[in-house]
Amino acid sequence: MSRTTYLGEFEELILTMVLILDDDAYGNTIVNGIKEHQNREVNLSSVHITLYRLEDKGYLESHYGGATNVRGGRKKRYFKITNAGKAMLQEMKDARNKLWKLTPQLKFSHV
Amino acid sequence: MSEIKPPRLFTSFFRWYCKESLQESILGDLQEAFYEEAEVKGLLKARWKYIWTILRFFRPGIVRSLEGTQKLNNYGMIKNNIKIGMRSILRNKVFSILNVTGLSVGLASCLLILIYVKNELSYDTYNINYDRTYRVIQHFGGRGADLKNEVLPTSEYQVWGNAPVAPALQEFYPEIESVFRFTHGFNWLVEYKGDRYQEKNVVFGDSTFYKVFSWDWISGNAETALVRPFTIILSKKLAEKYFGNENPVGESLLMDGEDLYEVTGVYDIPSNSHFRVDAIMSMSTFKGFRPQIFENWGYVDFYTYFTLNGQADIYDLSQKIPDFLDTYYKSDYGYTLRFEALKDAYLNSDAGRQPGPVGSKSNIYLFISVAIFILLIACINFINISTARSIDRAKEVAVRKTLGSLRSPLISQFLIESVLITFFATVIAVLLVLFGHSYLEILTGKQLIIDWLLSPINLLIGGLLVLVLGVLAGIYPAFILSNYRPIQVLRGSFKNSSKGIWLRKSLVVLQFALSIMLLAGTAIVYQQLEYIRDYDKGFESEQVLVIDYGGDAKVKQNLQFIKSELMKHNAVESVSLSRATPGDFFPNAGTTIEAPTGEMVNKVPYIYEIDEDFVPTYNMNIIAGRNFSKDFPSDTTTALLVNESAARFYGYSNPEDIVGKNFSQWGREGKVIGVVEDFNYVSLHNEVEPLTLRYSIWWATEKFSVRLKSRDLGGVLTELEALWKDAVPYYPFNSYFNDISFNDQYEADERFGMIFYSFSILAIFVACLGLFGLTIYTSNQRAKEIGIRKVLGASVQRIVSILSLDFIKLFGIALLLAIPLSYWIMSNWLGSFAYQTSISWQVFVFAAIITLVVSLLTMSFKTVSAAMSNPTKILKDE
Repeated sequence: MSRTTYLGEFEELILTMVLILDDDAYGNTIVNGIKEHQNREVNLSSVHITLYRLEDKGYLESHYGGATNVRGGRKKRYFKITNAGKAMLQEMKDARNKLWKLTPQLKFSHV
Repeated sequence: MSEIKPPRLFTSFFRWYCKESLQESILGDLQEAFYEEAEVKGLLKARWKYIWTILRFFRPGIVRSLEGTQKLNNYGMIKNNIKIGMRSILRNKVFSILNVTGLSVGLASCLLILIYVKNELSYDTYNINYDRTYRVIQHFGGRGADLKNEVLPTSEYQVWGNAPVAPALQEFYPEIESVFRFTHGFNWLVEYKGDRYQEKNVVFGDSTFYKVFSWDWISGNAETALVRPFTIILSKKLAEKYFGNENPVGESLLMDGEDLYEVTGVYDIPSNSHFRVDAIMSMSTFKGFRPQIFENWGYVDFYTYFTLNGQADIYDLSQKIPDFLDTYYKSDYGYTLRFEALKDAYLNSDAGRQPGPVGSKSNIYLFISVAIFILLIACINFINISTARSIDRAKEVAVRKTLGSLRSPLISQFLIESVLITFFATVIAVLLVLFGHSYLEILTGKQLIIDWLLSPINLLIGGLLVLVLGVLAGIYPAFILSNYRPIQVLRGSFKNSSKGIWLRKSLVVLQFALSIMLLAGTAIVYQQLEYIRDYDKGFESEQVLVIDYGGDAKVKQNLQFIKSELMKHNAVESVSLSRATPGDFFPNAGTTIEAPTGEMVNKVPYIYEIDEDFVPTYNMNIIAGRNFSKDFPSDTTTALLVNESAARFYGYSNPEDIVGKNFSQWGREGKVIGVVEDFNYVSLHNEVEPLTLRYSIWWATEKFSVRLKSRDLGGVLTELEALWKDAVPYYPFNSYFNDISFNDQYEADERFGMIFYSFSILAIFVACLGLFGLTIYTSNQRAKEIGIRKVLGASVQRIVSILSLDFIKLFGIALLLAIPLSYWIMSNWLGSFAYQTSISWQVFVFAAIITLVVSLLTMSFKTVSAAMSNPTKILKDE
């Protein structure tokens, strides 16, 4: 199997978040999700840029909808993971598991 | 409480840079996040975060590209055109270099001429009251002439006039605000702390100078500077000469070894003033010396300038001149005056006795025509080369058209290209101007200000000019090119079409004509200047050394002793004492001479005061009667010499007849004893004026003229200086050769000539560039023809002559055009000289031959190599 595109750590994180958030994945929910689950502050701009990049690579698709008052009547751009995206995530997870298996048993000194 | 809202400024900043397609969702997210944050962490933090996030969004991928996402304008197209233009400029290096060089040299020459002309036109404009300052020009007629109601041509008047007219005018005309008089510059021996120099241009002036002229005032109080007697104000130059960097105000200068003058101020007269003086002493001093001349309407030594108040009209003042003269002028000598505007003083005044050098309008016209010629030649080059080359680009146009391009974008594409070239040329031209400016200053001997070139308004005009020039030069090729029919071009049947040939030919004719005219002009200017220089002035001034002792009183007491000391030197042939020498200042005087009818006629000729050795020292010719002589002791008081024109002036057509007639002049009466052949004692711009030569009493002299035998002038000069130092230790040895000082007055002409030659050469250089470009092009076009001719056995000379013949035909037409035109222009220019060379046919032959030879040489670079080329190489490509 040969892959020409790889995902960076941040890209993988965003892709996973989109997968988790399912129908409610757009800029702000992703930022909030990352803060909630990983306790990590990310900037909205990095999230957007990454989303567009993933869309360009074909792992995400987007549609507009859900304008609210608080947004000044502007539509949200919802992102949804594509099959290719899911396959990519799965592949990365498998690859990591495979590597983990090759490591010697972890020994924690205080157990 | 203020409404909670995201910072609007940053929102609009975001809108400005962000791609249209991303704006909505991102702004939505931003605003949502802002309110969330504001609720949780407070307004301040939310704002900072909002701003910070917007700044973080400013990165590739978000920022819109320069062209805009939707093509609502042509920026993209223009960008592409510029790119294509640059490529085509770079691809055709030879033509581009020819174009840019020609245009930039042309533009630079044009700009330099503009700088010069602008400087000439700017004379006296620095004065605040420029528009309402006038001067009095006066006419002194003979006894008995009633001139009060006469208005004579301005050339009959002189700027140099009497003293009482100034206060009288001020009294008579309430419209006159202030009047300023100053005297003619005389030699003064100036001494400060042992430094002693003779200064030439020192005058007496009224204290009102600051009201009439807006000179730069450097130190002291202008209003009181020249009120008291024995005060002096110095020009910056003189102040630095005597006082270095110290402030001279309050110091005293010893003038002529007699009186101490207190320095009360330092001024600087701008270089574009029609007169400049080195120092001004207060008029009250002069009045103290000689009060009687301030009442004398016949004593001439003052230049009078005045300013009017804002409402007054000089015409009304002129109308009242007869009334004025009735009121104030009580003598039976003819006298009248006129007013001349300050704005006419430098370029439009033909009155005599100017206070400084005057400019020449005809020279300015000549320069402007040269500038226009150069620009025309450069533009023609550009148009010619571009149209000629257009055929090479026909394929590009055809493909573009086939792909659906309209005509207008094609036109704009070629226009952009030519504007681009013009732009480069302008940039280089500006650099050339900055570089050439200092040379021009050396050539003109003037301070030329170029600050105005870089003022915003002029930069704007310059920018527009680039655009206009680019469009003008490019419009014809652009229309021709965009008009090609793609089918014809792409099928290949187009190459030998003769489109635009007639235009190119007529432009070449024009170019040739302009070049010939410039060359003929140059030759005529050169001839005229040579003519003036070599004109028989009627006296010989080579090897005449003038020792100017400035009329110093102490020197005067030992004149005969000094003269005999000088004669003792073996290199000295003769020594003469006089008040004036040819080429410098001399007065005029009312002189009565018996007319042929026996009546005593009073006129005002110029006078020289000389001794018996003057005529032989300058090798002048006595054509009737005799020279002053020691053998007739009464000569010193009762004899007078006149020149030929003075004899005519008093009504004697035969100079013999005036000898022996009675005269009276300046308190002397006696007989005219001889007539001197006319000699040019001023310059050949003017005719020889009537002159009387009277015997100088020792106290009226100012100069020794020493004729030297030796050729080793340098050695003799040092010896004479040593001799002088022994005989006259108290006065500096101030000497110069008369021919050099005489030629100083042709300095302006010489400078004009140099400038004119330089620009003509530049113009011809530009024209050659264009010709070179065209030859390259034609020989490329006719490469096949040349190849076939060679195969059929044509010789190299034959081919060269075929290639050149076309141009020679055009040259012939140009010659026919150029000769009458340049004849007309140059005879106008020659009109400003009293002594003119004639325009000979040789001038045109010379111009024609030079143009022909230079252009054939230029062409031969290419024609010969085309003729020598190997036909197989050219012919094999089909």
